[in-house]
Amino acid sequence: MEKTTVVVIGGGATGLGILRDLSMRGVKALLVEKNDLVNGASSRYHGLLHSGGRYAVKDQEAAKECIIENQIMRKIGKSCVEPCGGMFTRLDIDDPAYEELWVKGCADSGIEATPITLDEAFRLEPRLSRKHVKSAYLVPDAAVDGFRMAWQLIDSSKRYGGQVKTYTEVIGFDSVNGELRGVKVRNQFTGETYEIGCDIAVNAAGGWAAFVGKLAGVEIGVQPDKGTLIAFNQRIVNHVVNRLHKSSDGDIFVPHGSITILGTSSMSVPDPEDTSTSRAEVESLLKIGEQTFEDLRDFRILRTFAGSRPLYIPPGGAVGRSASRGFAIVDHAQDGLKGLFTIVGGKFTTYRLMAEKMCNQICAKLGNNTPCRTAEEPLVEEVSQADIDRAKKFFPSYGVKLAATRLGVDRFKKVVARLESDPESRELVCECENVTRAEVEEICKDDTSFIVNDVRRRTRIGMGTCQGNFCALRAAAIFADMGVESTAKDSLTRMEEFLQGRWKGIRPVLLGRTLRETEMTRSIYELSMNLTEVSPQ
Amino acid sequence: MKTSDVIIIGGGLAGLMAAAVAASRKQKVTVLTYGSGSLPLASSAIDFGSLENLPTHHPYKKIGLKSCDAAAKFLLDIAAQANLPYLGSVSKKIPIVTAVGTLKYSALVPESMNASNLANKKKIFVAEIKGLKDFYAKMLADNLKKYFPDKTFEIVKFDLHMLGGRDITCMDAAQLLTDNEQPFANELKALNATVDDAIIIPPILGVAGNFSRDVVQTQIRAQIIETTCLPPSPPGIRLQRAFMKYLQASSVRFFENSKVIRGVTDGRKVTGVVVETVVREKVFPARKVILATGGFYSGGITMRDFDQPREPIFDLPVFFPTGEDFWSNAKLFSDKPQGFSTTGILTNDNLNPIDADGKVLFDNLHVVGANLGGCDKIFERSAGGIAIASAYKGATL
Repeated sequence: MEKTTVVVIGGGATGLGILRDLSMRGVKALLVEKNDLVNGASSRYHGLLHSGGRYAVKDQEAAKECIIENQIMRKIGKSCVEPCGGMFTRLDIDDPAYEELWVKGCADSGIEATPITLDEAFRLEPRLSRKHVKSAYLVPDAAVDGFRMAWQLIDSSKRYGGQVKTYTEVIGFDSVNGELRGVKVRNQFTGETYEIGCDIAVNAAGGWAAFVGKLAGVEIGVQPDKGTLIAFNQRIVNHVVNRLHKSSDGDIFVPHGSITILGTSSMSVPDPEDTSTSRAEVESLLKIGEQTFEDLRDFRILRTFAGSRPLYIPPGGAVGRSASRGFAIVDHAQDGLKGLFTIVGGKFTTYRLMAEKMCNQICAKLGNNTPCRTAEEPLVEEVSQADIDRAKKFFPSYGVKLAATRLGVDRFKKVVARLESDPESRELVCECENVTRAEVEEICKDDTSFIVNDVRRRTRIGMGTCQGNFCALRAAAIFADMGVESTAKDSLTRMEEFLQGRWKGIRPVLLGRTLRETEMTRSIYELSMNLTEVSPQ
Repeated sequence: MKTSDVIIIGGGLAGLMAAAVAASRKQKVTVLTYGSGSLPLASSAIDFGSLENLPTHHPYKKIGLKSCDAAAKFLLDIAAQANLPYLGSVSKKIPIVTAVGTLKYSALVPESMNASNLANKKKIFVAEIKGLKDFYAKMLADNLKKYFPDKTFEIVKFDLHMLGGRDITCMDAAQLLTDNEQPFANELKALNATVDDAIIIPPILGVAGNFSRDVVQTQIRAQIIETTCLPPSPPGIRLQRAFMKYLQASSVRFFENSKVIRGVTDGRKVTGVVVETVVREKVFPARKVILATGGFYSGGITMRDFDQPREPIFDLPVFFPTGEDFWSNAKLFSDKPQGFSTTGILTNDNLNPIDADGKVLFDNLHVVGANLGGCDKIFERSAGGIAIASAYKGATL
């Protein structure tokens, strides 16, 4: 039987943070995830690294944690964070009294909120509504890439011996006399079931924590709370732009590279797997968004997506926006199962702190006194200027830095060497995101690459302007060439699956220029490729 | 500005076809285009889909079978004149090989793509061309084998010495071969393939007509079969050039980069159209106007807000399925038509635009091609057929 000391359940930011922390403290750990990594709220979110301003009135403890972790993340995750800064703007329809509370809340929480003149606000954010915006402040918000952060956490963990198994679902726990002995899992592709022996298991399954708890016969108060977001195909804002009012739907814009994300709604849902979005949700976000940016509807919407916040509900606690964004750690020894912990709630910005607190408890149990170092050590080594200069000969220069941060030092070196020696590998698989064939092939070799979507999340193929029109064919063909056959699917099915994944987010925003892209997708794959084969009539 | 007998707005397949048909009938024709139309995107094989059991609003109901047959013949003739031989007819189903290795059946097919004889071949070679983007021989062969499990497939590698400083597409390769086919012919000859064999290659045999293919095929005993490809598509461009050649020979006035912004109307009559140029607006008078501006892809129909599609030039009423549930299907590649793709303008039997009550809006304006509403042309595989048949009818009325 496979054995480890700690099994971490869930490949979101919290689980990955725990894996890294344990590995760095010398504890043998293995993470299992039933899907691909960051499939839940750790990627289905704004990509906002909170300054804490959002919580300055309602939850100052959370606000303080945010500003501290914000500074740490900028240091250890340099290449995942875009330090674009944030702006809070109060509109004419917002309560001025709240502004006063907020200014005081920021001061009390240690968040620097600098008032600026409206002229300055319009200079920094030219698209802000001249009609509605009445006051503005700058705060140290930033944008953070959840995908990139996840792969870097994995790379960091692996350096210290951490292991990861994706598409591996927990189906039960094995215990003797109330003491945990192991975790039973199933491979999602082969259906094979087996047990991983361990002393401790951590349920860090986020929105799924209650389901995992149920397998061990324990009850967990977690309420999946669905948030819907819209990705625009342009950089509408330069800063993270927040509405300065009591936190509500659709009031944050976050710039990421060449796109902008607007969100979010808040809706309690029974099932964390529910990532459906509707036209009504999109309309409602646009209606709120255009109060701050009047010409919002003239921008092309790339897609919409949704994720579930795993809100922690203590017995008798509040739900929805009123629920705490705090987190809780439960030692299930209290429920009669020694060795099982659950960590639930919290938010992306504070995942590292949550992991640290969780690992402190685990290490205390294990008698391990090694201190936590996750706040000091950068996630990955920085790619050297020499390697970047070498790569610039073959990459479109815009793509070099992106590829370097996506790939990390070792893989980047390999890819650049490949580009140098094999001119055919220089072709762009994805023109929108500047991804070369060498990079796609390198990622295909990874032990967490099973389906085209896994490679998409790591490389960003198919995430740009054309939403997979060209790279769906190319990626499926490369999979076939590379012999990635773990799912035993043929290239046509892979193409269809990949485009269907894109379609899910396009469908509720099927208007404007996105209609044009969709007609092109259909022309290529239905007419020119006859992907959905039609027999002669 | 002299008054045209007919102004055609749009230079896609429908616009070019309408212009050619009108010119063939000695009309004074003006074509106004903005953008390149959808031909560079297309395989150039023309599908008609089914002409039977059609719903009331289906464009074929207005076009009629007679125009379909006449349009097919006309296109075959235009293509032949440009040495771009096509085969087929409205009711034919001729297989072609796609870039991903599926077979697709079309009514009118360029000879270079005709895969009808594949079933009689013993061995099928699939060409892999060094440095050429978007053509994956292994994937193609793996998928094509499913149709022909008892045949021998062999992937053969060719080097056309095309690796340069940037990605090489089929269009680049076709341009290269247009200038000099012989190196590729030599490589193919070295295969010693027999008449019992077929060689499947990406569509790179030149950008004009069948000239490059003729040079190569006469030196090879095995049949060379071109596939479809990701855009830009050389076969689509060959068809576009065949039309352009005909229009030039017929003295059709062809204005590129000319965006028509509105019509000039007098009651139920269109007297001209207004083109926006860099410095001013310019009126083009006409006795008849053919609207071939395409659907959502080409901007003939736009939709900024949900449930509010627009036809931007004449502000014609646009038919569309209302509400999210009817707008699209849960599956992108669905087993039923996509509602949004049925969006478009409805017409009477003369292809004149009508309103919701069936009232004709303009008597000398004819709507042709992808901006006709009432059916999902991609789902039906009828986009090409509707384009050329409606254009034919619109131009002959």
